[in-house]
Amino acid sequence: MKYIVDVSGRRLTVELDGTEVRVDGALVSASLETVPGTPVRLLRVGDTVHRVVARRDGARGAYRVGVDGWQFSTDALDARTRAIRDLAAASQAASGPAPLVAPMPGLVVRVLAEVGAEVAAGQALVVVEAMKMENELRASAAARITAVHAVAGTAVEKGMVLVELAAL
Amino acid sequence: MFDKVLVANRGEIALRVIRACQELGIKAVAVYSEADARAPHVREADEAVCIGPPPSSQSYLLGDRIIEVAKRTGAQAIHPGYGFLSERAWFARAVREAGLVFVGPPAEAIEAMGSKTAARQLAISAGVPVVPGTTEPLRDAEEAAAIAESFGYPVLLKAAAGGGGKGMRIVREPSELASALGAAQREALNAFGDDAVYVEKYLDGPRHVEVQVLADQHGNVLHLGERECSLQRRHQKMVEEAPSPVVTPALRARMGETAVAAARAAGYVNAGTCEFLLDTDGAFYFLEMNTRIQVEHPVTELVMGIDLVQWQLRVAAGERLPFDQKSFTPRGWAIECRITSEDPSNGFLPSTGRITHLHLPSGPGVRWDGGIEDGSEIGLHYDPMLAKLIVHAPTRPLAIARMRRALRELVIEGVETSRDFHLRLLEHPDVQSGDMSIQWLEAHLTELTSASASDETVQLAAIAAALAAHDDRGQATVSNSPASSRATGSAWRDIARRESLGLG
Repeated sequence: MKYIVDVSGRRLTVELDGTEVRVDGALVSASLETVPGTPVRLLRVGDTVHRVVARRDGARGAYRVGVDGWQFSTDALDARTRAIRDLAAASQAASGPAPLVAPMPGLVVRVLAEVGAEVAAGQALVVVEAMKMENELRASAAARITAVHAVAGTAVEKGMVLVELAAL
Repeated sequence: MFDKVLVANRGEIALRVIRACQELGIKAVAVYSEADARAPHVREADEAVCIGPPPSSQSYLLGDRIIEVAKRTGAQAIHPGYGFLSERAWFARAVREAGLVFVGPPAEAIEAMGSKTAARQLAISAGVPVVPGTTEPLRDAEEAAAIAESFGYPVLLKAAAGGGGKGMRIVREPSELASALGAAQREALNAFGDDAVYVEKYLDGPRHVEVQVLADQHGNVLHLGERECSLQRRHQKMVEEAPSPVVTPALRARMGETAVAAARAAGYVNAGTCEFLLDTDGAFYFLEMNTRIQVEHPVTELVMGIDLVQWQLRVAAGERLPFDQKSFTPRGWAIECRITSEDPSNGFLPSTGRITHLHLPSGPGVRWDGGIEDGSEIGLHYDPMLAKLIVHAPTRPLAIARMRRALRELVIEGVETSRDFHLRLLEHPDVQSGDMSIQWLEAHLTELTSASASDETVQLAAIAAALAAHDDRGQATVSNSPASSRATGSAWRDIARRESLGLG
């Protein structure tokens, strides 16, 4: 079974055949055992052992993988599903930048975005207070603001759309 | 000694104080908000009383209600921990007037030192060196601009009642001053109920070195050496160590004497900390005195071989310090990492959720002062610090190696944490050589958060992800589509078909 794995911006091919694993062509033996009652797994690669925490992270194939003191957002899909996802992502990218969403619940302190304004990547759009600290939420890309839903003084829930953006 | 003490705090510090009480044979009374009904500090206490709803303004900050609980449960003293009511002079006074003992300095010493402006004035009159700046709260942006102009940018805006980085802003350009002042005043008002902010010269490249003092009610004031706390982000300390890599025994003695002089000038009793900026030329400037036990007290405990929280209780009960200054020479090296529920890969945004798995490091020289356990809910009502991981070893390099080992053992699942960021920090050559200033962390933040793993580690992650996906796929086949598997004879083919049809 051949998997295309995206790891933090890199794409690797991992072919599985029993305990034989081919990573970008190089052959190793590997296995992943769960530790019952915990999210911890034991990864063996050759004779090396690694403690891994792999947790489902949204869409199928997406895992948050912790190994050797590093965290990775990974996406492991078979070749066919990968191709379909890539097509879907390409059409989505054409429809414009992702909206600014609240990454955590909190209180909107200030709204710095105005409908129609053009903003640069990294520009602060909304300030949300959480855990008694003010957090600036910034535009992920240069964009034009098409709608502002955040209102100063109101509470927001995680995932709520605060500002909608369109490509310049 | 007291028979019963009320602990007016939550989280790791409440647990820390409860442990100290129990080891001294003192019964501990916990107070808690509705959000903390199942918190570890409630269970570990001998008695526990709910004092209100989750927001701290309706629970942990309600001094009168806490005093009432102390009287009702027969507690003779109240230990405030850090944060919340610990540096409120009115609370210390109210406790005393209720006929109870406040485990901390007298209200008058908190007043003298609790406000940074008052502390500066006191320090100046005691001959303690301070950084140039105002001693009066700023009236408005115009006044701030005029004063900033007088000693030049960059300048630092600080909440008079502040601490923990709240209400603090560095301003590098005159154009940023007005909005920064507004933000600092708002944060100060929200966090401390007081929007007084003052301005001072911002030194480039100094270290944050602070001196622990301990004073009894009989006029004995001792210092317990320094802690280096230069690794800060937004004025929040992330890593602390004792001793400091640059403080010589002679400098330790001079800074210690200065801290003792400042404490004496304030009529200080109990444990407290004088914070200094240590300039690159060896000059040091008094910043403020923290009139409470500090988050980072364990590193001093480990190198000095003393239980500071137990001594807070003993001093408050009237005991005399049996030590002299010569008793305190640092032994070995201690490092503390503050493990927070912040996501360094995402701008340190607070992360919330339930702790689904917690594996604690152990072994030689490792200490965990935590307030979380499996199942703990991490909400937004309180500080994001989950726990402190502290190590002690004979030398600084060994302490760093031990901390890295302990961090690798630590597993916290359910919320994002600062664990990996601490590993990146301790892997950095500047940190390993001790070449740090209070600006170091901010300047290296991008480098640290965007550091990429070795090819080998990336490959391991890819293999793990592929194997995990393969496992989950196998389970999905068995549980979800037995009928169609039989029909096609191949689960794999079936899955592939479903996926290509968008049914997966």
